[in-house]
Amino acid sequence: MTALPEKKGLLIFLGLLALVIIVSVASYQMTGHMGIEERFSHAAGLDSGEEAGEEGGGWFGLSLEGSPLLYGAVLGILAIGCYAAYRHFSV
Amino acid sequence: MAHIHLEDGSFSLFWVIVWWTVAIILIGISLYLLRSGKKTDSRKITIAAFCTATAFAIFQVSIPVFGGVHLNLTPLIGILAGPLIGSLVVLIINILSAAIGHGGWGMIGANTLVNIAEMAVAYATWRFLKPFIPDLFPRAGIATIAGLLCGNIAMILIIVISGVQGVSQSTTQILTGLSLLAAVNMGVAVIEAFVTGLVVTYIGKVRPDLLWGERS
Repeated sequence: MTALPEKKGLLIFLGLLALVIIVSVASYQMTGHMGIEERFSHAAGLDSGEEAGEEGGGWFGLSLEGSPLLYGAVLGILAIGCYAAYRHFSV
Repeated sequence: MAHIHLEDGSFSLFWVIVWWTVAIILIGISLYLLRSGKKTDSRKITIAAFCTATAFAIFQVSIPVFGGVHLNLTPLIGILAGPLIGSLVVLIINILSAAIGHGGWGMIGANTLVNIAEMAVAYATWRFLKPFIPDLFPRAGIATIAGLLCGNIAMILIIVISGVQGVSQSTTQILTGLSLLAAVNMGVAVIEAFVTGLVVTYIGKVRPDLLWGERS
């Protein structure tokens, strides 16, 4: 029973997260799927920001932006690398 | 996270100068306080350097959530480096970001103000909550959400006050659009809160002396 006061910070934090997620998802449903620049241009009343740099670029023809698969792969490699460094150097 | 993604020319020259001036005044005050106080701990300078490099890199990575958002790590900068050194850190990050086309050059002043708001509010929340929430993870997470919320409010205020050149929408329409944008942006605050909480918790375990004000 004494665990509740000790965990009050975590409970407040999780409650805040739930609230933020609900508001964020609802807003996303209202505005639809857009990239950062496009969403910003749309919100500010400018014409579509598609030309503003969301497309193109990348390394050797591969664009990290907007690709969940590549993003996950890079994140996974980084996580494995960090774990290996963590074990090797006994941090 | 809150960052004015508008190109140069979106604000009139007057407002570009105004936001640059306010940012320079705040950074000048930070420099004055840093120089007039006791000698800055070299560990804090090192932390600030790491924060600058990390935050600049993470600024450029678009996370495929809600169509694409990016982390800022400004609350983490505030918690680790403090608001004085942190204001210099966010200025450098915004200059380097503008150099590679992430935000216009004229927007550096406004974006620096937005990031200073995020960082300062996160730092203040972090310090204020210490007696009530001693646990590092939830306290850092709550501070992050508070900071990013204030950063988004600052971003909206700056755009609404400045006005955007070449648009026919009314202020109310722009305010509505930006409020929805900010609400979507806050989705990434969840990720950023977890990242900040984990980093702060880890540092608190291995090097608690690097968390100023946490030494027992």
